[in-house]
Amino acid sequence: MRIAADRLLGLALIGLAAFVAVQAVQLEVPFSYEPVGPKAFPLGLSILLAGLALALVFKPGADGDWPHRALAVKLLLVLGLLLAYAMLFTRLGYMPASLLAVVALARLFDASWLQALIAGALLAVGSYFLFTSGLGIALPTGRWLGAVL
Amino acid sequence: MFDFLIEGFGVALSPLNLGLAFLGALLGTLFGALPGIGPINGIAILMPLAYTLGLPAESALILLAGIYTGAEYGGRMSSILLNVPGDAGAVMTTLDGHPLAKKGLAGPALGLSAVSSFVGATIAILGLTLFAPLLAEVAVMFGPAEFFALMVFAFASMSVMMGKDPVKTAIGAVLGVLLATVGVDSGTGVLRYTFGMPELYDGIDFVVMIIGLFAISEILLMLEHANRKDADGDIPPLGRVFVSLKEVLYCKGAMGRSGLLGFIIGVLPGTGASVAGAVSYTTEKRLSDKEGTFGSGDMRGLAAPEAANNASAAGSFVPMLTLGIPGSGTTAVLLGALMLYNITPGPMLFTERPEVAGGLIASLYIGNLVLLALNLPLAGVFARVLTIPRWVLVPAIALLAFVGVYQLHSDLTAIYLMLIIGVFGYLLRKLGFSLAPVILGYVLGGLMEQNLRRALSISGGDVGILWQSGISLGLWLAAAALLVLPWLLPKLLAGNAPREDVEDG
Repeated sequence: MRIAADRLLGLALIGLAAFVAVQAVQLEVPFSYEPVGPKAFPLGLSILLAGLALALVFKPGADGDWPHRALAVKLLLVLGLLLAYAMLFTRLGYMPASLLAVVALARLFDASWLQALIAGALLAVGSYFLFTSGLGIALPTGRWLGAVL
Repeated sequence: MFDFLIEGFGVALSPLNLGLAFLGALLGTLFGALPGIGPINGIAILMPLAYTLGLPAESALILLAGIYTGAEYGGRMSSILLNVPGDAGAVMTTLDGHPLAKKGLAGPALGLSAVSSFVGATIAILGLTLFAPLLAEVAVMFGPAEFFALMVFAFASMSVMMGKDPVKTAIGAVLGVLLATVGVDSGTGVLRYTFGMPELYDGIDFVVMIIGLFAISEILLMLEHANRKDADGDIPPLGRVFVSLKEVLYCKGAMGRSGLLGFIIGVLPGTGASVAGAVSYTTEKRLSDKEGTFGSGDMRGLAAPEAANNASAAGSFVPMLTLGIPGSGTTAVLLGALMLYNITPGPMLFTERPEVAGGLIASLYIGNLVLLALNLPLAGVFARVLTIPRWVLVPAIALLAFVGVYQLHSDLTAIYLMLIIGVFGYLLRKLGFSLAPVILGYVLGGLMEQNLRRALSISGGDVGILWQSGISLGLWLAAAALLVLPWLLPKLLAGNAPREDVEDG
């Protein structure tokens, strides 16, 4: 059998279905007034999912085009960047964290340093005032800024 | 019987709601015109911000519906000017729209598409006004068993009509339904699939879900497009800006027929704008392409899909408002938005909350006029949105996504969850899944289980109740027929029709 993306996906989905089913069976229901209870629906879904996944394993579609190595690295970079942005969001405060995130993202999307810095400054400051003054959203100012002020 | 519409116009014509309809139309057109952002992404990104405005339900819905219809308008810009469809519904628009632009008729082509969209949407909104109350009266008789059967039918119809691979569409829907089971089980209070995380007790937040699934995965996909540089063409000169009356009249047959067709396709659950565009284009080609000019810049080939995809957008409100079953991925998002207001659309909506149902329908009439007025003269301005570079667009989307999720509970867990869902959405899209079934499954999953369990509680556990009534039996049979026919028909006819391979918005 050819190894296709869909085959791997099918196997992964069968694993997921088994996991869902095991978790459903292990649910402890204290007492229920209704005949169905919380187990039946996820169980039924896991059976359906397993059936559909089997169909995928036996009749996989075309593979599609997957990112080559350089692009995959870039994808991971963007993901790591978003993760870092999330971690810095409250620590640094919205404005500095966003400035860093926008500059880095813009660079990853082929902007020059100057372009990236301008975009970062304008977006971080502009959006802060749009969100807080315009829409009344409370955004983190950051601990360090609080200490300085 | 049209009391709801009178009340609705009363609601929609208030200065606030009028302003919101205008704002929605403007934002929707802008977002739709942005490269890579279709109606569903536009609504996903803007919806959380709409909530922070603290609007009442009908006003929020008016704003979101304005964005939806506006984005359908904006989606054609890149189809016509760059040959890159802004969303799936606009794929057919490229076939004759881009050749027109290459002939130096980009301006008239944009104008014609605005007029066709207006005509198609008008036909469908009239249809919505007429049929929605009628359908609601029938749907009042639906019990839990009928609703369960109806949802099975909706999923069957979606699997067959939406996306290129029925198996993957079905898997996507099942995954969506499974995601909806996360959280406290309302019937027994048992925790399901929460893995000890208190943040998941209320289930996966709807906003987190759609922003992750659509906005974050879009950021990752854009990286690939940026690398392939397929979308970075030059915008051809617009030429004269207005479309002439003669050109519009030349297309009137195409617009009328396609508008009607688009409305009917839109009403069917699960079949959205891309199916409507494809069916109307092929129909119109068969009917009126005597000289073989379709595909090389025939105005009727542009008018047909444009009228149809806007008609289907309005048509998909019919099942959403009357049955609570969305007709497309985007109306599924709107349905989820309504549920955040504790409003479950369904047959009672027209009698219990006429200001919501009527206000929405009335605002569609108003929004449609606003869109025509905006798009005819301002096509050139909107076209400039296409030139916004990705290095501005992507960071801006990221900021909107992060703030949209953060403002829910001022909590970082939601942001991490959003990123995880984003990667999940990206992988699904790379594997050839359409995201619309996932979101439909997620929105309908909870209701589906509730109705199943309610029906079986009524019957004391007897499964027979699910197909006892004529309505539910009919729906089961229709669902079965839908699943079997596409497999059976080609064998009977021996001539296989080419399948659609576009993702639905």
